[in-house]
Amino acid sequence: MTLRADHVAGAFFIAFGLLVIAVSGSLPFGNLASPGSGFMPVILSVLLILFGGTLMVRAGESRPFATLTWSDAKHAAMVVLITMLAIAAFEPLGFITANVAMMFALLVVIERRRLAPAAIYSVGVVVFTFVLFVYVLKTPLETGPLGF
Amino acid sequence: METTLHSLYLGFSVALEPHNAWYAFLGCVVGTLVGVLPGIGPLAGISILLPVTFGLNATQAIIMLAGIYYGSQYGGSTTSILMRIPGEASSVMTCIDGYAMAQKGRAGAALCIAAVGSWIGGTFGVLVLTVVAPPLATLAVKFGPPEYTALLVLGLIFLAYMSSTSLIRTLLMASLGLMLGMIGIDNMTGDFRYSFNLAELGDGIGIVPVAVGLFGLGEILSTPSADAVKNVIAPKLRELLPTRKEWREAVMPISRATVLGFIIGIIPGSAHIISSFLSYALERRLSKHPEQFGKGAVAGVAGPETANNAASTGAFVPLLALGIPTSPITAVLIGALMIHGVSVGPTLVNDHPDVFWGFVASMYVGNLMLLALNLPLVSLFVTVLRIPYAYLYPMIIMFCIIGVYETNNSVVDVWIMLIMGVLGYALRKFEFDPAPLVLGLVIAPILEQSLRQSLIMSNGDYLIFLSRPISLGLFAVSAGLLTLAAISFATKRRDWRATLAEAEAGEVET
Repeated sequence: MTLRADHVAGAFFIAFGLLVIAVSGSLPFGNLASPGSGFMPVILSVLLILFGGTLMVRAGESRPFATLTWSDAKHAAMVVLITMLAIAAFEPLGFITANVAMMFALLVVIERRRLAPAAIYSVGVVVFTFVLFVYVLKTPLETGPLGF
Repeated sequence: METTLHSLYLGFSVALEPHNAWYAFLGCVVGTLVGVLPGIGPLAGISILLPVTFGLNATQAIIMLAGIYYGSQYGGSTTSILMRIPGEASSVMTCIDGYAMAQKGRAGAALCIAAVGSWIGGTFGVLVLTVVAPPLATLAVKFGPPEYTALLVLGLIFLAYMSSTSLIRTLLMASLGLMLGMIGIDNMTGDFRYSFNLAELGDGIGIVPVAVGLFGLGEILSTPSADAVKNVIAPKLRELLPTRKEWREAVMPISRATVLGFIIGIIPGSAHIISSFLSYALERRLSKHPEQFGKGAVAGVAGPETANNAASTGAFVPLLALGIPTSPITAVLIGALMIHGVSVGPTLVNDHPDVFWGFVASMYVGNLMLLALNLPLVSLFVTVLRIPYAYLYPMIIMFCIIGVYETNNSVVDVWIMLIMGVLGYALRKFEFDPAPLVLGLVIAPILEQSLRQSLIMSNGDYLIFLSRPISLGLFAVSAGLLTLAAISFATKRRDWRATLAEAEAGEVET
């Protein structure tokens, strides 16, 4: 049997539904006359399992899993990694430092842009945005140890 | 009628205040840019810019955000016609004949027809909204929990039925969204659900990080910069006026699409996308020269562009009259008003007449602004398209982070956005449409509360939904739609939804 995209997707939703039921143990289900806080989550988990199962049954209509293209996955993974680092640095280092570093890294590491234009662009855009939000729109942004 | 006219006068006096008119203008400009830029749709655009409105009052905020919404519909046509790239999903159909017209040297005429059609569609929608919304709101006051439950279930089933992917996939996405909506404190018992000792999750997962992650970051992750096209046809200002023949060919498609788009806009789902497709299909069927479609038919531009703008306005009817979002975009707008302390629903028109009528009147003004903006400034918007995507997307990611962080000043929200971005990337790989997920997330608290209240009211008797005429009627429509879907599935009949799916995937016959 060929493994198809919907086999994988359906299995994921079934597993997710089962996981939710497993972690919902402490939530009271209640009864029909007085539904508890676990009532809707359990109904929705059952629906996820049912729909996931249906998706697997009808998986023949979907593409073989092996034909899914992942050529963009490396780019996506790099963007996610750099964004993760920027988010982690957001509070300790402040908006300007974290975002300048993120934009610079995206431009140089992923897009292979030259250092000087990438640095000028990153600093220019981030500082302009900081001024716009903090001084014009009066919406404060996270500041780092150096006060920006 | 006299009351409506008086209220509309109040609305215009609010909308034409210099401050409010300025925010309508700003919303239109930003919305057009959002529509022009590939990779950032109206939903992500509105979500990212939501914090910008925190310093404004409720009227100014909704006026600006609505300007972004319908401005993006106008802007989406520009990239479709000049680059064959839909700036956002509802412009997919415009690509076909709009780009063909551009290749024939009629880019200016196509843009002009799209702008005029959008204006007529939008303005007609506002006219009907003005008349229909207040009486509908009066009727909606009679809605109790069973009616709201039935209405929300119908909305979800309608969304699934109208979906271009498949009923099961849409229902899966909606269920996942509803499940995410369960996170946080249960309103009725005070129990913490799935918050894993994170205080930030006590209030649940916000719509902004989910929407920005799925539609903003997710789109960026799916678009490597090498794939971004830069070939732009730039029309000259003197080439903008269509010929008399082109005007004649556009009149009837615009008229039909105006009515069609508005009606579809009221229905839950991605109405602006569906309306543009149906309008294109209708025009091709009614045309005396169907062979011209795909080769630069004026009706192929006039119809879809008018329909998607009329649908955008139509979507405000259930929003303003019933307080029910029919799309993720209107859901974000509801969230914006709630942040400003205005609860949307049947009582809005009486409790906050300045917000309601100011907003309605601003749409008349905004549509006029967009008409004036889009034609003379098309060259400026085209310039934006020349910014290399490699420089553009880091800036969009930065705005995603700001937009999400500023909503609650919470880094946890930014992490949620990142997770949703990865989820959005994966969902696109497996051909799932994330829009029903966002809609599910938004309606989850209303649906859960109304369902549980209904059951408590009836002492656990499900027949309460069938013993009240309005909820019975709504459930009957739901059952009818499910039956139609089942017949279509059993007979493996290929209908318009399958063709829409192909069109959205770029496989439409040209």
